Amino acid sequence: MSRHANGASLLVDDGNQASTNSNGASLIGSGSGSAPRSGTLRRTARSRRRGVLLSSPALAVVALITVVPIAFSIYLSLCRVDAGADGFDYTFIGVGNYATALRSPTVWAALGFTALYTVISVSVEMLLGLGVALVIDRMTKGTGIVLGLLLVPWAMITVVSGQLWSYIFNGVYGLANYLLVVTHIVSAPVSFLSNPAGAFVALLVADSWKTVPFVALILFGGLRTIDRELYAAARLDGAGSGRILTHITIPLIRQSIITAVVFRVLQAFGIFDLPFVLTNGGPGHATQSIAMLTYNALFQDLNIGYGAAISCITTLVVIIFAVLFLRAFRVEDSVD
Amino acid sequence: MTSHFPTSRRRARTREGLAANTVGIAIAVIFMVPVLWLAISAFKPVSALGDFPPELLPIPATLANFDAAFGPSDFGSFLMNSVIVGILSTVIVVCLGLPAAYGLSRTSMRGRAATLTGLLVISVFPVIATIPPLYVSLRALGWLNSYEALVLPYVAFNLPLAIWTMRNSLLSISHQMEEAAEVDGASTMRTIVQIIVPQALPGIFVAAVLTFVACWQEFLMALSFNSNPTYQTAPVGIALFGGAFQLPYGTIFAASLVALLPILVLVIALRRWVVGGLSTGSVKG
Repeated sequence: MSRHANGASLLVDDGNQASTNSNGASLIGSGSGSAPRSGTLRRTARSRRRGVLLSSPALAVVALITVVPIAFSIYLSLCRVDAGADGFDYTFIGVGNYATALRSPTVWAALGFTALYTVISVSVEMLLGLGVALVIDRMTKGTGIVLGLLLVPWAMITVVSGQLWSYIFNGVYGLANYLLVVTHIVSAPVSFLSNPAGAFVALLVADSWKTVPFVALILFGGLRTIDRELYAAARLDGAGSGRILTHITIPLIRQSIITAVVFRVLQAFGIFDLPFVLTNGGPGHATQSIAMLTYNALFQDLNIGYGAAISCITTLVVIIFAVLFLRAFRVEDSVD
Repeated sequence: MTSHFPTSRRRARTREGLAANTVGIAIAVIFMVPVLWLAISAFKPVSALGDFPPELLPIPATLANFDAAFGPSDFGSFLMNSVIVGILSTVIVVCLGLPAAYGLSRTSMRGRAATLTGLLVISVFPVIATIPPLYVSLRALGWLNSYEALVLPYVAFNLPLAIWTMRNSLLSISHQMEEAAEVDGASTMRTIVQIIVPQALPGIFVAAVLTFVACWQEFLMALSFNSNPTYQTAPVGIALFGGAFQLPYGTIFAASLVALLPILVLVIALRRWVVGGLSTGSVKG
């Protein structure tokens, strides 16, 4: 009955009531116009100019610090970069860095791990996030509190989360081992972080803890827009919960699902903080993500050209994914 | 609204609501366990941190870890750097982003849809792609190990989403008052400041909070561009505490708890707006 009384007021609803004070405008306005058509045209031209003027500083900053460097990165990736006494020396070497990268088993291992991690973590997080969102959407009391508490893991500093989960997954005294031993799931502590599968699970749990709330909040926003009467009507027609979910709920929140998947896939593909702190890419290179590999090439091997080549390969993979995804789901429809 | 349903059905709905309430609270509690464990561990004496089975409550509680974090480890200086970088970046993002959001929502500027799509693509792009060129450029400018080394990229990477958030809230503001002000001869800037800003405050707050939280959490650029501890931010400090073999978890958790406080207070205080921003972001975007 009071669906909108809780914490999740939609922002768009705010600030629509302040337009009562516009009296007198038309009186002054009608006196100063020439022919209405040329006035409109002039106004449009002025509005256009004003738009460009207002948005260009921000757009220039964004372009200068994100788009231009990506172009510069392509040049870097085709060079051998040597650090001199005052700055860098660039020697153009063509595709040598790419050849080295594509022949390196470490690069393929990192790409493989990152891709596998992306697929598994996004699937798990979307499913859990949808589950949590469905539960919150059905709550009749306490929605605000639950939403507030879910923001805590979301606001968590990933590095803190990494340290915390490395303590929880400690193979000798970790809380995870304590809970597993107490519930008789295992008989003796498991050293999670020293075997590849355990390290993968640790990353997955730590990552899900932070991002399931994020996914849930986005999907919950979608669920709020569904008219309750639809559920009631479907139920009267004899549809079960499963059919309602697959035939009504999911199609109607398709846009929110797409948003969450795109955000999560790109975040997961660029994952750095969590493996850097939690597993340090280990054991061995088992959990070394492509971003960690790039970082190591840059700052441990001091091989800037090679690092740029790997980061360009990453960029290319991301662009291919984005294009395929936008094609498949026609996301451009939703931008007016 | 449910009055025309048979009573049994209504009772089933109530049961469903109760079940959802219980499960929802249980989920929230489960998600709180790790952060509670962080808080509990921060107040344990160092000697108790390696106990198995672990002590579930910090008795006797001690502030020794906080002393260690803020004394010998000088975590206060890392926090100060985070505050400086976070506030500077947020102020600049709002000052640059609000006019841009205005231009992209309330003028007839050409290419608005394309620009907004472009911004969305940039906002989700992996940061690592820009690390090599930015590192080289910052080094050439002599800006490594400085506040601007972080403020500049933080501004650029947070502007796209901030512009989107503010644009969405600007779209809902009525055009009447603005037109009246224009006819009265008010300048564009004055119109924005006196008429648009007061009505768009919720959206501006959400953009500012999301930006500040993102800057406060950022790690990869902070680690790459500032290797000198004088300019390192809190996440870098927390990640690099201690040596390679023994992690000083007590110090780490005490420092983490303090570093988390500002954003937790901010996010929970502005809970309604942040949740609204996150969920409408998806509805509108």
